[in-house]
Amino acid sequence: MRERVAGGVVHSEIINLLKGCIVRIIRLPLAGALVATVLVLTPASNALATSAPTLAQCQSTINSLEYHPGTLTAATDLTNGVYEPWFVNNKPSNGQGYEAAVVYGVAKELGITASHVNWVAEPFDASYTPGFKHFDFDINEISYTAERAKAVSFSTSYYNVTQSIVTLKTSKMVKAHSPSELKTYLYGDQIGTTGLSYIQNYIKPTRAARVYPTLQGALTALAVGQIDAVVLDTPDGQYAASAEVTNAQKKLIATQIGQFPSTGEHYGMLFAKNSKMVACVNTAIQALAANGTLAALQKKWLSIYNAVPSIRP
Amino acid sequence: MSQRTDAPSSAPQLFSSRRRLHLSPRYSRVASLASTVVVLGLFVAATFFAPGGVQFRHFFFDPHQMWASLLGNNRGLASVGKGIWTNIWMFCLCEVLVLILGLLLAWVRITTSAILAPLRMLATVYTDVFRGIPILLVFIIVGFGLSELNIGWISQQNPPFYGCMAITITYTAYVAEVYRAGLHSVPNGQILAARSLGLSEATTMRRVILPQAIRTVIPPLLNDFISMQKDTALVSILGITEAVQSAQINAAQSFNDSGLVVAALLFLCMTIPLTRFTDGLIDRDRARRLVAAR
Repeated sequence: MRERVAGGVVHSEIINLLKGCIVRIIRLPLAGALVATVLVLTPASNALATSAPTLAQCQSTINSLEYHPGTLTAATDLTNGVYEPWFVNNKPSNGQGYEAAVVYGVAKELGITASHVNWVAEPFDASYTPGFKHFDFDINEISYTAERAKAVSFSTSYYNVTQSIVTLKTSKMVKAHSPSELKTYLYGDQIGTTGLSYIQNYIKPTRAARVYPTLQGALTALAVGQIDAVVLDTPDGQYAASAEVTNAQKKLIATQIGQFPSTGEHYGMLFAKNSKMVACVNTAIQALAANGTLAALQKKWLSIYNAVPSIRP
Repeated sequence: MSQRTDAPSSAPQLFSSRRRLHLSPRYSRVASLASTVVVLGLFVAATFFAPGGVQFRHFFFDPHQMWASLLGNNRGLASVGKGIWTNIWMFCLCEVLVLILGLLLAWVRITTSAILAPLRMLATVYTDVFRGIPILLVFIIVGFGLSELNIGWISQQNPPFYGCMAITITYTAYVAEVYRAGLHSVPNGQILAARSLGLSEATTMRRVILPQAIRTVIPPLLNDFISMQKDTALVSILGITEAVQSAQINAAQSFNDSGLVVAALLFLCMTIPLTRFTDGLIDRDRARRLVAAR
């Protein structure tokens, strides 16, 4: 979930930042050959970086780049709780769950041992505001967008995400969801999410969507019948339908009727604007993609999402 | 200032006039202007010279973003200017409801009849409970709970209906207490005098107690209403796109909080006239009391 559609924007900020990082590294005695960046997960979602530090360079410099030198400080929304399949038992340090596993994978690539990874809490709403950050990066299913990247810096994609639709099992929407029928429903969504902008830009319903400060608010409104459907990231939708929206008998009353085609949205790790660490984390993500670790982790933790049927707006 | 000069000069002057005893009005006006300029200047200077001053001004006071937020556009920006009307009509409606219901509740609480004891107890519990619960929780319980109950008409209302209901429920509790204080402030002698003149209990209440009580409580009542005006912003939790919600949509859309400043300014446009009016009333009331004391 989390905010505006990226489209195929060239990440000029990230390129500038990479250039800055390269200049630093050239000054170092061990300046090595600069490698061309391979586009990692999808062509649409990746920084078109021309060069990046190598893993070896990163391993030797990473300590000096860290917020607490010697420790990788990772943040996630521990204040509001973090959930499967991204984390397990609200405890990122166990390395279980996709995002926790990715962070420990990145740490390993950068030569940081697991015991030197420290987790801190960062509420989602505070994460993308400009200014000082008390962590190296935040990983919290935060979607990259060009607008957001003006205030903070993002890593390249560690997961590409689609939007999906969740409604009540009793809703006529379960059967009637052709593109023209989708326009007739009353939608609700969390403020500032890509789901909300998907409703406005692709579904274009006849009645304006209701906007809630929290996803919980939107799901509650759905559960009590004040709205017909919520549009949210496929992972969030899967969780909402399979665990969250229940009635008094603890029966699940919502269903995820389908996922829309990808709009190029992806999750990225969030850094303070122009953090010098972005380039090295990107190199590590790239290495994880190249050696098949990301695919394996997605298969282990996120395979349920591929099972959601496809529908069109 | 002007209300203060309305006070009769021979009235006993306490704190407010200390300045006047020592300083000429012109001097004090110059001094207050100078100190205002200095304080505001410091604030502005802070935003200009702070290391993050440029970002700060861009983030909160970007003129383009403020204008776009006020009007909204078809690229996903909500209109804060349109949103504020939701706050205004909700506030106006709730104010009327609260004035009436609060008075009824206060009336119940000051009765002394033994037969009405259960009603009094209920009224006491009501004020205790709803003054004690954060209004946000009342919004959630009323806004989502009533729909959940599924009891026909009342469960099929729009979020604004529930929003008004929650505001009314909470503020009735506050306002009833204000009324009650006012009703208690009317000296017992007034009631005895009215009764001995042959006025019925109801007429005494209507013609003698209420006029005096309400005059006393107008400033604290308005105080509660200023607070209520601001609390209309909390209805956004029910999915109502009012001014603050619109500004937050824009902040999330553009990662620029200038829309929130627009909302703040619109709220000030709403509350400052009422605040000034309340201050005026307080000063007028005080002047009248001082005359009476003389």
